[in-house]
Amino acid sequence: MAMKGKDCVAIAADRRFGVQAQTVSMDFDKIFEMGPHLYIGLPGLATDVQTVSQRLNFRLKMYELRENRKIKPKTFMSMVSNLLYERRFGPYFVEPVIAGLDPKTFQPFIASMDLIGCPMITDDFVVSGTCSEQMYGMCESLWEPNLEPEDLFETISQALMNAFDRDAVSGWGAVVYIIEKDKVTKRLLKTRMD
Amino acid sequence: MALGSICGLQTMTKLNSSLRENCNLLNSQDSAFVNEAIYGSENFVTPRDIDILSNQKNLTDKDSNVKIHFDHGTTTLAFKFKHGVIVAVDSRATAGPYIASQTVKKVIEINPYLLGTMAGGAADCSFWERHLAKECRLHELRNKERISVAAASKLLANTVYNYKGMGLSMGTMIVGWDKKGPGLYYVDSDGERMKNNMFSVGSGSTYAYGVLDSGYKWNLSVEEAYDLGKRAIYHATHRDAYSGGVVNLYHMKESGWIKVSQTDVKELHYQYQEEKSRRR
Repeated sequence: MAMKGKDCVAIAADRRFGVQAQTVSMDFDKIFEMGPHLYIGLPGLATDVQTVSQRLNFRLKMYELRENRKIKPKTFMSMVSNLLYERRFGPYFVEPVIAGLDPKTFQPFIASMDLIGCPMITDDFVVSGTCSEQMYGMCESLWEPNLEPEDLFETISQALMNAFDRDAVSGWGAVVYIIEKDKVTKRLLKTRMD
Repeated sequence: MALGSICGLQTMTKLNSSLRENCNLLNSQDSAFVNEAIYGSENFVTPRDIDILSNQKNLTDKDSNVKIHFDHGTTTLAFKFKHGVIVAVDSRATAGPYIASQTVKKVIEINPYLLGTMAGGAADCSFWERHLAKECRLHELRNKERISVAAASKLLANTVYNYKGMGLSMGTMIVGWDKKGPGLYYVDSDGERMKNNMFSVGSGSTYAYGVLDSGYKWNLSVEEAYDLGKRAIYHATHRDAYSGGVVNLYHMKESGWIKVSQTDVKELHYQYQEEKSRRR
């Protein structure tokens, strides 16, 4: 999930990689850094998570070489949308969540997408994954506008943890990135491991 | 029953008529209601003129559109050792991927010297084990001595066998202490009944077996046995998505069962992690 705060954004995800009931690994990272202030979270089928992140990285590097500047988050969102819609009739099973700051103005930006690339930009929070219903509930109740980075961290952590504690196939650790103008803080959460 | 007739035990119809008089019921329809109220729990209400067995196929078949989804997924274990029987269970109930509860009591206290565990359909287990409690009490009253674990598990197995094929889902362990010493039987809704020294039932049972098998011996001390039971359930909850919550630990002794502890699996995780780093 990703949330907007005051001049900052936060993006967080669990760390489980499982095959139906069995948990195979507890350090599977689903959030990828695409730029100094641009992160994408890719929940869904693990193989597609890796393929999409690698393909996206390639396209992003080509863009930066041609344009000779860092990409804007909104443009990046369109790039992801295009990549996913190319596979309209045999889609990648990922539902990405994008969080970032504009490289020039440092305006916060969050967006999410469905598996064939329909973009959705919001002003508060975006969620994606197997427990999206639980996450919507938690975010609706906990989020408020203009949260400072520390408060945003608390809010997003509580929302994520309590949501995936109600889902049997999510959890087993969590990672939270707080993206501010001058720094990005990555924190691992101490969660229930069952 | 021979004993019943000696004691002058009234049959059902006799009781019915006396009750009818007392309640001033003249209508035969009303007596059906009274019948239902007193003996209702023995008769399952079913749609008239429908063959249950074929109907149930629709409700339990995987590919059916009207499949009834039960709360499944659990880890329960029990093992015999020198000082009795240890029973350890998790406490999570799931409905598909949704965690319905993390605080389910999966050990059913049938009576002070008999325990039953719950795995599979929660309603099936709790109903039939409560039914078993009634049967055990009746046995005690008729025979003036406690029921043996073998007999209790046989009663349960025979009862569920009558409903075989109708979609009951139950995998339970009957644990007790009788004249023959500690007793542990596995009974399930397919009519299976087995006796052994160690069982683990549920979606997380494979993980629990691994830990149990590596740490088990007959001569465990009481504390070591408690630790083994807790550890096995913890490892199962750690890897299995459908097990979790807290570990409920019971110890069956000669004098009856005691509830040893209830430990949250999260605490166990960080405790074992510390132990591992200390050992290194």
